[in-house]
Amino acid sequence: MSMTLLQVVVSGLLLGAVYALFSSGLTLIWGMMNVVNFAHGDFVMLGMYTAVVIWTALGGGPWASVPVAAILIATLGVVSYFLLVRHIMKGPMLAQILGTFGLALFLRYAAFWTFGANFRTLPDTLIGHSFVLGGIRFEGSRLLAGVVGLAVTLLLHLILTRTAVGSRMLAVSEDATAAQLMGIRPQRMQALAWALAGAATGIAGALIATFFYTSPTVGETLAIVAFVTVSFGGFGSVLGALVAGLIIGVVESLSAYLIGPVYKDVIVYVLFVLVLWFRPQGLMGKA
Amino acid sequence: MSPRRILQLAFLVLVLVYPLLAGNSPVYGRLGALVLLAAIGASAWNIVGGYAGQVSVGHSVFFGVGAYSAVVVYTHLGWPPIAGAPLGIAISVGIAAVIGVPTLRLSGHYFSMATIAVAELVRVLSSTSEFLGGAQGLSGPPVPRSVLDLSFISATPYYYIFLAVLVFLLGLTRWIEGARMGFYLRAIKDSERAARSLGVSAGRYKLYAYMLSAAFTALAGSLYLTMFGFVDPESGFGILISVKMLVMAALGGAGQLFGPLVGALILVPLEELSNSLLGGRGAGLTFVVYGAIIVIIARFLPSGLLSLFERRPSRRDPPAKSTAVSGHAD
Amino acid sequence: MHKTSRRTIVAGAALAVLGLATAAGAQDTVKIGAVYPLSGNSASAGEYSRMAMEVGVDVINNGNADLAKIMPLAKGGGLPGLKGAKIQLIFADNQGTPAAGQNQTLRLITEEKVAAVLGAYQSGITLTASAIAERYGIPFLTPESVAANLTERGFKWFFRTTPVAIDFARAYSAFLKEQKAAGRKVDSVAIVHENTEYGNSVASVIAEVFGKDGLPVTQNISYSANSTDVQPQVLQLKEKNPDVLIFISYTSDAILYAKTMKELNWKPGVMIADDAGFNDPSFVKTMASSVEGLVNRSAFAGGKPGTVPYIFNELYKKKSGGADLDDVSARGLEGFLVMADAINRAGSTDPAKIRDALKATDLKADQMVPGYDGVKFDDKGQNTLGSSLVTQMRGGQYLAIWPKARATADVILPYKGW
Repeated sequence: MSMTLLQVVVSGLLLGAVYALFSSGLTLIWGMMNVVNFAHGDFVMLGMYTAVVIWTALGGGPWASVPVAAILIATLGVVSYFLLVRHIMKGPMLAQILGTFGLALFLRYAAFWTFGANFRTLPDTLIGHSFVLGGIRFEGSRLLAGVVGLAVTLLLHLILTRTAVGSRMLAVSEDATAAQLMGIRPQRMQALAWALAGAATGIAGALIATFFYTSPTVGETLAIVAFVTVSFGGFGSVLGALVAGLIIGVVESLSAYLIGPVYKDVIVYVLFVLVLWFRPQGLMGKA
Repeated sequence: MSPRRILQLAFLVLVLVYPLLAGNSPVYGRLGALVLLAAIGASAWNIVGGYAGQVSVGHSVFFGVGAYSAVVVYTHLGWPPIAGAPLGIAISVGIAAVIGVPTLRLSGHYFSMATIAVAELVRVLSSTSEFLGGAQGLSGPPVPRSVLDLSFISATPYYYIFLAVLVFLLGLTRWIEGARMGFYLRAIKDSERAARSLGVSAGRYKLYAYMLSAAFTALAGSLYLTMFGFVDPESGFGILISVKMLVMAALGGAGQLFGPLVGALILVPLEELSNSLLGGRGAGLTFVVYGAIIVIIARFLPSGLLSLFERRPSRRDPPAKSTAVSGHAD
Repeated sequence: MHKTSRRTIVAGAALAVLGLATAAGAQDTVKIGAVYPLSGNSASAGEYSRMAMEVGVDVINNGNADLAKIMPLAKGGGLPGLKGAKIQLIFADNQGTPAAGQNQTLRLITEEKVAAVLGAYQSGITLTASAIAERYGIPFLTPESVAANLTERGFKWFFRTTPVAIDFARAYSAFLKEQKAAGRKVDSVAIVHENTEYGNSVASVIAEVFGKDGLPVTQNISYSANSTDVQPQVLQLKEKNPDVLIFISYTSDAILYAKTMKELNWKPGVMIADDAGFNDPSFVKTMASSVEGLVNRSAFAGGKPGTVPYIFNELYKKKSGGADLDDVSARGLEGFLVMADAINRAGSTDPAKIRDALKATDLKADQMVPGYDGVKFDDKGQNTLGSSLVTQMRGGQYLAIWPKARATADVILPYKGW
């Protein structure tokens, strides 16, 4: 029994790492520009379709699709920033929600129109089989996604906190006017943030596609997970998103196993709401 | 009479006689009723989301409570569904009071996220409840037993019922606009910190706005049930309902009296007509167009369409950044 | 000479006018409406159904030599009962919501002036859409919605051709009892179903029927549809290790479960998957190699060359780019054919006449696309001759294995999987 429990926890951790990966982009944008991108789930979806297309058209696996998805979605992010976000940022929060929601619909149904409604999956031989380590079963594609998820999220965190570019980005998020006076160009930094967030999101999508089904509406399901993860972790904190993602993954997994699958969402939402009420800035947000 | 006045009067007359104009076409008659129902929901949202500036993305919880209350009194007690409306309103106001207190303390995006979580929570729970019909949902009377069942073939009775409710709601909103509460809400929306420092008990007024908004949203839900005769967790509590209310109000102009109505006037026919014209071919083009229009309006008219008609220069709402740094609204 | 020729001319002219009138009459079209999910989560099922029905329209309007040997309506040239009127099938998107379904049905009836409506796949939407049709006195036929309450409303204009949950449950029960008698271990049955209208209703009926038939249901797991991860559920199952596993889910979750079971390396002795997701061609295409030996139910299971199912399948494959007819699309097609047959016998587009013709429907088994015993409606509008076949996944295709009389292959157990 305890072996199974351990397996449940491990699968929860791997799942959580993936949640963290595709949430890190969202929290970066939120932190830097106080914009909640309601189209985030659909960015992930497009990353997934990139992997599907690369497989069906070129027979390429994650080695090809991950970098391509990173570049594509990064570009999408930058384009969205310049054409839309940059303008609605100046407006009320409502306009942001409106704008990014409209973008979500547009992307989702453009994908629907292009790819049709059918569910696509990548063959599970793509990443290789599962293997057993210490009695715990690890499935190849999930392990890859989890490990890469961790790595990319940490990398993002390091970029923000340890590099010159990162500190410029953080300066802009603290006070754009002051940063400007110091010679930093806010728009450039913000665009860069969208590029980084897009890349992380694209990578997440390409990896998720190896073990999850792809369809135009999958973004809806994933978006809510991302929002919960990000709010839970604390706005702006990539590390927070990582920790939150892992916790949510494990909680979900354990609740599904111990209580019942239907209630796992309930547990996560209740936990989420409680955290917000008692610690509104999330786990690691700035107080 | 100024041109503006004439236009307003013409619009009023149009609204009053619309069903007669659309008489021969049940589809267009029904469209009118749908616009009004959407406008009720969006206007109810507007009280807390537009006037008080608390952007709730989880209003579907109140809508669903209203719809379910109506169908539950029919299913379990045999009453006409509309008799469930007072129950739905009472429960919604109660929910608003209970979750409002801790949630309204949160600022900006956190508040929105929390409302989403609560609505999703209720949706999932409702799908596990036998009493509420579980995932299958519940349906109202298949054939009307009396006029009280409010189940009409023609859309015209619905149209006038919804119109009456909308007029009442807008009238109430107008009154609030001019009263002290309206003044406080505007102050809170502008800068909660400043308002508090002036002695406005922000928490209390935000809560009042939230509860009032919840009440009318619940009523909209009950009315929806009488017209459509069916509700399940997705059509009662789904996130799309919350988003549509918000989008309509924002599109027309949040915090403006007629903003939600304008938004409804544009989006409801757009959705119906584009589905009729394009949807049949299954391309989903409906929503591509819908999404594009929303993006364009958000981009060029972030304060909504009504801002085009502002006589005085519209005061732009302060950017969302100011209250964002901490999780609190302080 | 003059009189005769004048009479001949007048007669000739009269005949010509009559001929023109008949010809003009023959240009009439019969409009039938169809409300289906063409966007949203169930769009792929809606799309397949649409293609299948359009094949049916084409066969009736333009004829098909092979089918014409068996089906009177396949001779081409439209509906003979209406002097060769062609059928126009008008589709509307229900967008997956009851509100849109109702609005579109209203539009089809009042604007497009259809003579009858087919639809709407999701039971909740069929409920609201058919309520509108009932009010307007337009026949509404559902080829695939299985909620029990649809035929319990006392409606006069509602018809359903598909068998319902209790029929499937009985089929599974009979199948499993046969397996038990043949020596296979059937001591524990686990039911895993998604928490949706479809999942819940079918699961509860199966549990009830199994209980009465003495089949032990040891686990009944309900999960949220569109999950991101089902590992915990599969681990739960792996722990209890039931002999028989019955799955009830739509496509996305079907894919997820199949993958997860392979990942966690667990399979039961008998794996039964109830329709919907597991019959979806998307699932079959991508997951067939991982679910060898999966037992399913399908109203459709191919057919020998020269039979109605076989011929229609060949026609459908051309339209769908290689996908076979599946349970849902085959039932959709049949619903359409039943409606066309009724309108033909009614000889008019008058709704009341069509309804009466529907009531009098009596189609035989050899006319069927899915494996029904025929079509005959009871006074609640339910087809009493609908039936399902139990099928098994073999080499990328579902083959009929039960009842023996209709089987095209033997039963191979235990479940092989991958």
